[in-house]
Amino acid sequence: MTARKSGSRLETEIERCRSESQWDKIPELVRQLSAKLISNDDLGELLLGECKLQTYLKENPIKQGASPRGPRPKLVEVRKHLTAALDRGNLKADYLQEASLLMAKLCYVEGEHRDALGHYSRVILEDMQLGGAPVYRLSMIAEAYATKGLCLEKVPAASPALSNQNTGSPASNRSATDREQDIITCYEKSGDIALLYLQEAEKALSAGIQNRSPKPGPTAQDLELGYFLETGLQRAHVIHFKNGNLTRGVGRFREILRAVENRTTQSLRMTIARQLAEILLRGMCEQSYWSPLEDPPTVSPLDDPTRQGHTISKNYSLSRRARVYSGENLFCPQENTEEALLLLLISESMANRDAVLSRIPEHNNDRIISLQSASVVYDLLTIALGRRGQYEMLSECLERAMKFAFEEFHLWYQLALSLMAAGKSARAVKVLKECIRLKPDDPTIPLLAVKLCIGPLHWLDDGECFANIVIDMGEKAAEFRAKGYLAIGLVYSLKATDASLRSTQEEYQRKALGAFQRAQSLSPTDHLAAFYLALQLAVSRQIPEALGYVRQALQLQGDDVHSLHLLALLLSAQKHYHDALNIIEMALSEYPENFNLLYTKVKLESMCRGPEEALLTCKHMLQIWKSFYNLTNPSDSGRGSSLLDRAIADRRQLNAMTLPDFSDLDTGSVHATSIAASRVEQALSEVASSMQSSAPKHGPMHPWMTLAQIWLHAAEVYTGMSKPAEASACTQEASNLFPTSHNVLYMRGQIAELRGNIEEAKRWYEESLSINPTHVKTMQRLGLILHQLQRYSLSEKVLRDAVQVNSTAHDVWNSLGEVLQAQGNAAAATECFLTALELEASSPILPFTIIPRAL
Amino acid sequence: MLAMDQGVVEEWLSEYKTLPDNAVSNYAASLKDKGALIPALYKVMRENYSDLLEPVCHQLFEFYRSGEPQLQRFTLQFLPELLWSLLSVSAARDPHTSGCIEALLLGIYNLEIVDKDGQSKILSFTVPSLSKPSVYHEPSAIGSIALTEGALANHGLSRVVYSGPHLQRENFTAQNRFEVLTFLLLCYNAALSYMTATSLQSLCQLSSRVCICGYPRQQLRRYKGISTRLTVTSEFLVQLITGIHYALCSGEVDLGSKALDDVLYRAQLELLPEALLVGNAIKSSLHGAALKSNNKEGARSIQVEITPTSSRISRNAVTSLSIRGHRWKRHESQEASVESDAAVGGVAIPDISVTGTSGERLPNGESMRPRLDGRAPPDCDPVGGASEVSLDLRGQEVRRQKSVRRMVENEGSGTASTGRSQY
Repeated sequence: MTARKSGSRLETEIERCRSESQWDKIPELVRQLSAKLISNDDLGELLLGECKLQTYLKENPIKQGASPRGPRPKLVEVRKHLTAALDRGNLKADYLQEASLLMAKLCYVEGEHRDALGHYSRVILEDMQLGGAPVYRLSMIAEAYATKGLCLEKVPAASPALSNQNTGSPASNRSATDREQDIITCYEKSGDIALLYLQEAEKALSAGIQNRSPKPGPTAQDLELGYFLETGLQRAHVIHFKNGNLTRGVGRFREILRAVENRTTQSLRMTIARQLAEILLRGMCEQSYWSPLEDPPTVSPLDDPTRQGHTISKNYSLSRRARVYSGENLFCPQENTEEALLLLLISESMANRDAVLSRIPEHNNDRIISLQSASVVYDLLTIALGRRGQYEMLSECLERAMKFAFEEFHLWYQLALSLMAAGKSARAVKVLKECIRLKPDDPTIPLLAVKLCIGPLHWLDDGECFANIVIDMGEKAAEFRAKGYLAIGLVYSLKATDASLRSTQEEYQRKALGAFQRAQSLSPTDHLAAFYLALQLAVSRQIPEALGYVRQALQLQGDDVHSLHLLALLLSAQKHYHDALNIIEMALSEYPENFNLLYTKVKLESMCRGPEEALLTCKHMLQIWKSFYNLTNPSDSGRGSSLLDRAIADRRQLNAMTLPDFSDLDTGSVHATSIAASRVEQALSEVASSMQSSAPKHGPMHPWMTLAQIWLHAAEVYTGMSKPAEASACTQEASNLFPTSHNVLYMRGQIAELRGNIEEAKRWYEESLSINPTHVKTMQRLGLILHQLQRYSLSEKVLRDAVQVNSTAHDVWNSLGEVLQAQGNAAAATECFLTALELEASSPILPFTIIPRAL
Repeated sequence: MLAMDQGVVEEWLSEYKTLPDNAVSNYAASLKDKGALIPALYKVMRENYSDLLEPVCHQLFEFYRSGEPQLQRFTLQFLPELLWSLLSVSAARDPHTSGCIEALLLGIYNLEIVDKDGQSKILSFTVPSLSKPSVYHEPSAIGSIALTEGALANHGLSRVVYSGPHLQRENFTAQNRFEVLTFLLLCYNAALSYMTATSLQSLCQLSSRVCICGYPRQQLRRYKGISTRLTVTSEFLVQLITGIHYALCSGEVDLGSKALDDVLYRAQLELLPEALLVGNAIKSSLHGAALKSNNKEGARSIQVEITPTSSRISRNAVTSLSIRGHRWKRHESQEASVESDAAVGGVAIPDISVTGTSGERLPNGESMRPRLDGRAPPDCDPVGGASEVSLDLRGQEVRRQKSVRRMVENEGSGTASTGRSQY
């Protein structure tokens, strides 16, 4: 154990202990040292002084913000050692410098700032070699700069400035700005050297461990920065920001972050990365941004204009610097959001790693700390990505936050909202359920869930539950109460449309009407309540009442497109076709690209102005479609997130599109004609919404669907003109997009009928029904053909089914009457004819349900 | 309007017209010295039926068209005020008074949507990825945190369009109004640092008014202008929020927080997820951050403090990182691996389920080891993590890359569904 170590070996050992802050070993080593040579006594004093000072500081750490004051009894010994080392003057130059620096540090710890500066004036810090110096000396120099900065801040500027002597400049003529600049330079140098020291120290440490590999010593602990290095690393940018000098503060942040990280700087880097991201998001804009590899602008709006003279850029250089990230193809951000995102992703990966998972009470504080630091990062990520509309990516990031999220409402809610914004509706509803559990009093959350259930998901039963949560809140829901009734009304209204039994249909319609009336009375200034009340009345064919409410809705919101559309349809139900067309044209002047309005216009035009006008409108629609969707570049818009999404998106290609159904020609709002069809539609709408934000959101869900619908409308106009060839060409276009759509097949049947091919038509209609068994128009035509083929009972069956599906289709009633008549059932036939007549009197040109119903 | 203000505006109108081309940039720099001008221009815009409105709008457009950045920013600072004029007039259905404002706004829009060569401008940005080295990091040090399904699908950097291309517009319709206004706000937000306090205040007021007019909260704010509800879109609100965020951090604490509350109020009523998302995030990130209200122009409230650099989390707490150590590390060694749990998440932390309702309570970190070791079958090591613990960083990186490749291959060969189920 006490085997004498040779001189150089001993020195290496001492150096290693100093570099690794193993102060407890120093006294023993000093004993060995002094046994060797008498001249080593001074070095021994130096080492003992250092080790006692460092041990003292470790036991009594200086707190940030607190300034040490007064001599401490424990430090008397330190002073004795150091004085002894300095006084005799036998030390080598290097050690002499070290002794002075330690003396200065001691003075600072004792609150003798002037004395400290006096000691620094004896050492020329700038001349101390950084290259080839032992690791501990780097730390010593860094600490010395930091301490000098601290002392300069403490000593009033007016006093004879001791700092000037070493730079050699005349003491006069130095303004406060220069002095501040000196202080900042001290800190910046300290920080730069500290980074270098930390890199070198880690390198030495890992090399050391490899040499003595099997013996895991106490060296395994992390390096600790201590007060002086922490100050050196951070004080410079704190001063920059305090002075309102954002440009230099940001520059300093970037310098620190560009240095290659090591274990000790990780936590600092995480803090600084987050702070820089905050500044980039809160205090900068695209125009005032400069990239990390560019020189900062000389004049920047970011800097406080009232403080002059702070824009001096860095005016020192060091012989050796910390390693920075380098290499080919380094990503360098080019705008503020990019840089903020990069920094936040880095912070996120660190925050995620520090997630405290254990839930035992002793770790409560740790958990709160890790949660807080992570949620700040996630909030900033939300701000950055939200600003750029990247909800898809955001939802993925927030999903990673879930390991913090147990019982944390904010994180759950943000995830739900991001999923909703990213169009991942089904998942959003599941997460919203958890949010409701965590915060049962907030009416917004169930309403958001209803919105998804009514809209893209078409989960009407779930929607009903969520809406009832809001209604059950009663008065507590305040302004949201009316919205709750509106929501449940919409659920009932959609259920009525879906219901296949007439009695259930009527039951739901009655309930819907009640709910809308309640909503309207609770919130008389909400145009939506009045509008949906009007729509529901219209569906129930209470045309005059509906007109009253739609006018009310229009008074509240004059340019609401759906109200205008409903008004036009109501007028057409009253057979005021010209008025209806005028309204549609007026609405189109405000919404020139609304395809729903244009479809109605085509219908009205072929009625009032002849098919040629209608064809012109169809052509116009094609032009609009082209200008709209040609412009947006779907390959750029949005990134499909999961591999699954990708796979679907790739299959989305035009020709491979094998969707059995697209949004029903007759119904603008999602209409689940069968469960299977609705599932497909659901999948489709998720795809459509994952197509992302830059695509226009209005109009039907999918551009290709819109195109197919336009062609089908044109085909219909041509069949009306008895032009089977043209109609067939148009249908072919639609068929290229959706070959198995029941609407396409139905149109083919119509064309076959026009050509007189009854058998062929029958075949098309049967195919159409095999895809969508509840398509009323096909059923009606098939019934008619079966009637012509004199298969009366089958025809009657088909038509009765059609009436079950839609009891307001007057032409079906009429056909049914004819079949019954042909079968000799005159009484039943009469009843059917009367029903048909009555319904026809209130029948709009297109079903009221083409108007979308959504929250 | 006082005669003096009128005089200032008229002088401004005539001065620019007589300006020789080479004097434009000097003129632009001198504009901020005309102290009375900007308040006078606001008065023109706020007053109904001012005769000066039309020439003012015309000149502001000339400024914008000059291409001189300072002149363009001069025009932009009035954008919030102009938007409010336009929206309030269109709500009142009085088409005649806002003609020149409409023309000015559409003019700026049509200039901004095209680049120098007249091609449609597409605004895009690069989504950074931790798997590509950058000036701030090295992928090997980050570990495999980024190896989610989505990250693999977008391995590397991808460029994403966030605005554009846009159509030229000749007039405002109900359909295109918010599309145009959203884009204009985007331009405004790109120059936020150059905007004066008055402009930011005006933006906050615009936000509040747009969101509360016609709603019960209007009484609370005692705003007596129009009382019709204005339709808004979620994207428009998100742009407003971006501006409000900047205002909040630049000293407009009162107006800014009111505006943010009002936008969130409206977003709740209209169930707009995007605006709620960003608004909530801003509220929560500013919570606790002491915002300094200032009356002094220029003093920013961005401040930082010296923070302790040692980890604030005690060493014996079970963290994502330590749990990895427990699972993979048999001996106390100097672990330089900073790999996160993401890659092994499914193996290492089954206790914290995503639904979180039945989060099992772990007694403490130490007792985790036997349990986890006992439960995880030895062959379910998807990344080969045990072999990764090494001090040789280069070797570690190589191994990690191998394991990454293995994961990619696994994903590719149809086990994507198992990958999904982890989350």
